[in-house]
Amino acid sequence: MKLLTHNLLSSHVPGLRPGGGFPLRIELGHPSELPPEPSPGYEADEEFLRRLHHVLLEVEVLEGSLQCPDSGRRFPISRGVPNLLLTEDEA
Amino acid sequence: PERTPPRSGPAPSRPRLAKMSSAEPGRFFCTAGRGLEPFLAREVRARLGATEVDCVSGKVFFRAAAGPGELRQLRSGERLFLLLKKHGPLPVSGNRGKMLHEIKSLIIEDPKYWLDIISVWRKLHKHEGKTDDGSQENTLALKRKSEEDTNTASKKQKTEQVTAVVSEECQMGAGETCEVPDRISGQECWTESRTSSELPSRGSGENPAANEELSFSFRVSCRCSGAIARILTSQEVGKAIGTTLVKQCRWRADLRDPDLEIFVHLNDIHSVVGIPLFRLPLANREYIRTAGLRSTVAWAMASLAEIRAGALVLDPMCGLGTILLEAAKEWPEACYWGADISESQLEGADGNIRTAGLVDKIELLKASVKGM
Repeated sequence: MKLLTHNLLSSHVPGLRPGGGFPLRIELGHPSELPPEPSPGYEADEEFLRRLHHVLLEVEVLEGSLQCPDSGRRFPISRGVPNLLLTEDEA
Repeated sequence: PERTPPRSGPAPSRPRLAKMSSAEPGRFFCTAGRGLEPFLAREVRARLGATEVDCVSGKVFFRAAAGPGELRQLRSGERLFLLLKKHGPLPVSGNRGKMLHEIKSLIIEDPKYWLDIISVWRKLHKHEGKTDDGSQENTLALKRKSEEDTNTASKKQKTEQVTAVVSEECQMGAGETCEVPDRISGQECWTESRTSSELPSRGSGENPAANEELSFSFRVSCRCSGAIARILTSQEVGKAIGTTLVKQCRWRADLRDPDLEIFVHLNDIHSVVGIPLFRLPLANREYIRTAGLRSTVAWAMASLAEIRAGALVLDPMCGLGTILLEAAKEWPEACYWGADISESQLEGADGNIRTAGLVDKIELLKASVKGM
C-alpha cells in the first residue's frame, strides 16, 4: 500500500462524527524521515519534493495496520493490501 | 447502417498517428464483439490513420498503411484479416449447384494472384514465426478443440467457441430477435478437402517453385449465416472452396497446422474472403496472466472514462483487475486503484498486475463498494 493510497482512505465504522474517520493512523515499525509539516516555500524545495515523492509513491507498507482516529478500530495491512471490510456486526 | 459512436474518451494519449510507417497501404477487416464496432472504427482511425472505414455488424473494414506491429496494437478488435474479396451477398436460389458455382468463382483467379497473396502474407509473417512456442501452445489447444467439434459427426448446429467471441451478422427481420436464430444458422467449420488424395503424382522433373507450391498448406474456415445458410451448410461451402483451391493452386490441405488460413464469410450483407494476420485473436494480451472480463470490452469501458494525465481512477469491484490493466497500459499517466471483497480475486489481480509490470500504477484494496 502506497502512502498516496493512505491519503485517500478513511474509516467507515458506523456512528463516527463527520470527519472522525480521517486520517487513519499508520502503525509501522520505524518512524518517518519527513517533518510533520511542510515548511513554507516547499514547492520550490527540490530536495524536499524528491523526498516527498519518494515517501508518497515509492514507499510501500507491506505489513502493518491503519487505525481509525475516533473509534480506534484497526484495519490490517497484509502483503501490501489493506483490508477495509467491516464485520457483519459492525456494519 | 453505420452507427454513431458513443460519447467516449479521447484517442490514445500516445501520438501514434505521427509514426512514419514504411508499410504499403492495405485493405483489412477486423471482427468485433457486438457493440464494439464503433470503438474499433474510432481506434483504427486514431491509431492507424485508417481511411475508407466501413462499419457493419460484427466487422470493421478499413484501409491503412500499417505494419503488423502497429496493427497488433488494436485493442477493441477480435481477429484481424487481410481483405481479399468483398462483394455483395450471394444471390440465393433453390439451385444449390448454381450457388456453389458462384461461391467457387469468388476464389478462382489466375495463379499469379495467389502467389502474390502468399508473398504478402509471408512479408506480414516475417516477425511471427511458426516456431513461437507460446503461440503454438495456444493454437494447438484451440485446434484440438475444433477438431473434436468436427469429429462429432452430428447434424447438430455448433455454437461458437467461447474463446472466439465473434459477433455474427444479425438479421433484423420483422419481429425477429437477432441473436439466437443467427447463431444457430452459422456454423464454425474447419474443412479438409477430400480430393487431396486425388492429387496427381509429381514427376521427378519438377522445378523447385512448383514443389514449394505443393508443400504450401492451407485450411478453409467458412461461416455461412442468413439466407445462404438455409440452402448450404458452412461445411459444404468450405469443402467446395477447399477443392477449388487444391485444383487451382496445388496447395495441400492441412487441418492441424496450415501455413495459410483462408477465411470466408457469407451472409445477407456481403461475401467476404480474407486471411488472418495473426494466429491468436487480438484479444489475447500477453500482459494478462489470468483473464477476467474480455480484454476488448475492458479496454472499451476504460476508454469511456476519459482518463487524462494525472487522473485518479478507481474500480470499486475490480475482480481480476482486467479493466484497470487495460486502462493502465493505455493511459499510464494516471493512478489506479482496484477494490474487491474477494481474497481470491485480489490474489489473481495481484498476479496480473505483477505479470503486466504495473505494480507502480495499480494499487489494491480489500474493500466493499457498499462501504465507500
